[in-house]
Amino acid sequence: MKIGIPRSLLYYYYYPFWQTLFKELGMELILSEANSGDLLNQGAKEAVPEICVPMKVYVGQVLNLLEKGVELIYIPRFVSIRKGITFCPKFLGLPDMLMNSLSGLDGKILTHEIRSRTDDISAYRNYALFRELFQVSKSKLSRALKAARRDWLEFRKLQQEGYKTEKLLQGEKEKRAEGSLKIGVLAYVYNLYDRYINMDFLERLEEKGVKLVSFEMLDEDLINKFIAKLRKPFFWEFTNKLMAAGHYFINSAEIDGIIHLTAFACGPDAILGPFLDLEAQGKNKPFMTLRIDEQTGESHFLTRIEAFVDLLSLKKRSDQT
Amino acid sequence: MDKVYIGVDIGSVSINIVAINKDSDLVFRLYKRNTGQPVDLVKEGFQELKEELGDRREIGGIGVTGSGRQLTAYVLGADLVKNEITAHAAATTFYYPDVGTIFEIGGQDSKLIIIKNGIPVDFAMNTVCAAGTGSFLDHQAIRLGVKIEEFGRLALQAKRDVRIAGRCTVFAESDMISKQQYGYTKAEIIKGLSRALVRNYMNNLVRGKQLEGQFIFQGGVAANVGIKAAFEEELQEEVIVPEHYDVMGAIGIALLAKEEMERSGRKSAFRGLDFTQDDFFTDSFNCTGCANECEVIRVMAGEELIAITGDRCGKWSASIIDKKTREGRNYTRRTANK
Repeated sequence: MKIGIPRSLLYYYYYPFWQTLFKELGMELILSEANSGDLLNQGAKEAVPEICVPMKVYVGQVLNLLEKGVELIYIPRFVSIRKGITFCPKFLGLPDMLMNSLSGLDGKILTHEIRSRTDDISAYRNYALFRELFQVSKSKLSRALKAARRDWLEFRKLQQEGYKTEKLLQGEKEKRAEGSLKIGVLAYVYNLYDRYINMDFLERLEEKGVKLVSFEMLDEDLINKFIAKLRKPFFWEFTNKLMAAGHYFINSAEIDGIIHLTAFACGPDAILGPFLDLEAQGKNKPFMTLRIDEQTGESHFLTRIEAFVDLLSLKKRSDQT
Repeated sequence: MDKVYIGVDIGSVSINIVAINKDSDLVFRLYKRNTGQPVDLVKEGFQELKEELGDRREIGGIGVTGSGRQLTAYVLGADLVKNEITAHAAATTFYYPDVGTIFEIGGQDSKLIIIKNGIPVDFAMNTVCAAGTGSFLDHQAIRLGVKIEEFGRLALQAKRDVRIAGRCTVFAESDMISKQQYGYTKAEIIKGLSRALVRNYMNNLVRGKQLEGQFIFQGGVAANVGIKAAFEEELQEEVIVPEHYDVMGAIGIALLAKEEMERSGRKSAFRGLDFTQDDFFTDSFNCTGCANECEVIRVMAGEELIAITGDRCGKWSASIIDKKTREGRNYTRRTANK
């Protein structure tokens, strides 16, 4: 059976898990094409207008999979991966949103709820429906989940050891280069690794000799420690992860500055941003917000990146003398 | 032979060229309206520079800034290409070492730069809305039948205050029309508008940031004494407009180019003042290699292809590095300005 996976949202966090899982179950996996102007335009046209940009990207990716003629599109409903904390409402309603806004999806969505206590989503009970659907034995499904977990843990470990996520997802291994400046990025994986939507943000900074650090590259225990310390955590899982990373960046002498890379119309970020901006100001840590949307012009974006890097270099030079 | 360093600022509304000598004194300045053909305008500007400075000067280095910096930098063979925020900050801190806050309002964007101990520590730039920039003022001056040069002075003659909505220029305009119908004078309307623009600037860029003196106001709009007065009223502090407020970006990039060349000891890559004899043209085509359909821009100097830009994947711009003069491919010429 051909199963399609949209190359967007949590693809950038869980793809190695899904890849192994479906392969072990004997399915053929089809990925949607990398995001492009064309796909984004199609997505933006069909999606609910008030939704955030990455969701529009996702819609474009689903349309692309329909075109490719897959039998099922895997759209899990991520409910929670931490006690008492859920995903952003757009994730909670993702399968419903797609079902109700696109035609031609009838019977083509493979969805189920993901509920877990940790980022490890391999618990058998979440996947029980696969047994009947794919006609597999309980032990085969268990084995597949175990293998998927192993590969995903390996992926996470390599991310934290400094291997490039964008390469790992393509099955390649390449370490991120060191740089003369270190910038902490507050960004969801689907904004940071979608090079179309963020106009090559990663490459542009690396070209300038900047090493970027994002939450998924930090030790998970460290992130969890900072989340546990939050006086009042947010309701949303990945927003808490960004908040934790933000606290780490602000208080780390190694980090020269912070960029909040956020998508237009992201609700959680509208709350997260000002909190961290104010805190960074109090600690004298340069902080910049970069907003991306489906029509962001390139030149403003580049000017901001350049100016911020200049500012950090000057500051570093004057701090050293 | 005396060395001079050239700074070029290619903005959306104006093109500025300056030259500084080895002591960083300004020896040439030019402010030109950008009519949309930057390469031609820069050519003309360099003719003037050549006439004024003569052949006795050696060009020690050249820097380019402004929103159109990339393309012009290729054409000129620039030694340094930097964004306008860094350039403005460099010029202001040179003239005013104690500056704390820079307000820069240009043709289509406005910026706020915060300086501490002589180095920029924070900045903000207008996002999607061009409310309160020079282009908007131009437009309103025409609508009111007032010369843009007179606009600011008129604001100072206002006797009464009138509040004009400043959140959005579309609403500001309809508000102005209705206030005119209530019988407010042109001067009062203009004063109200100036205050609205400053309010808008404070709301969109300053956003509660702590501002420290000295306050320097530069960019083309700093010519407007009405806006300067509105800033002073808002801050209750003196606001200084530098002598060369309209070419500060160009001065800044010239200073940075000088610093860079002196530090590195490099020889300038500048094509020379005679580049004006060369035929430059740009053309563009839509690459159909993938779904992004980038508009790829090619810059030619005579027969030689000197730059390709605009391709997101780097397929075309990388080709110029492999093989500088690659034969023309399948493309359709859109614009050619010879």
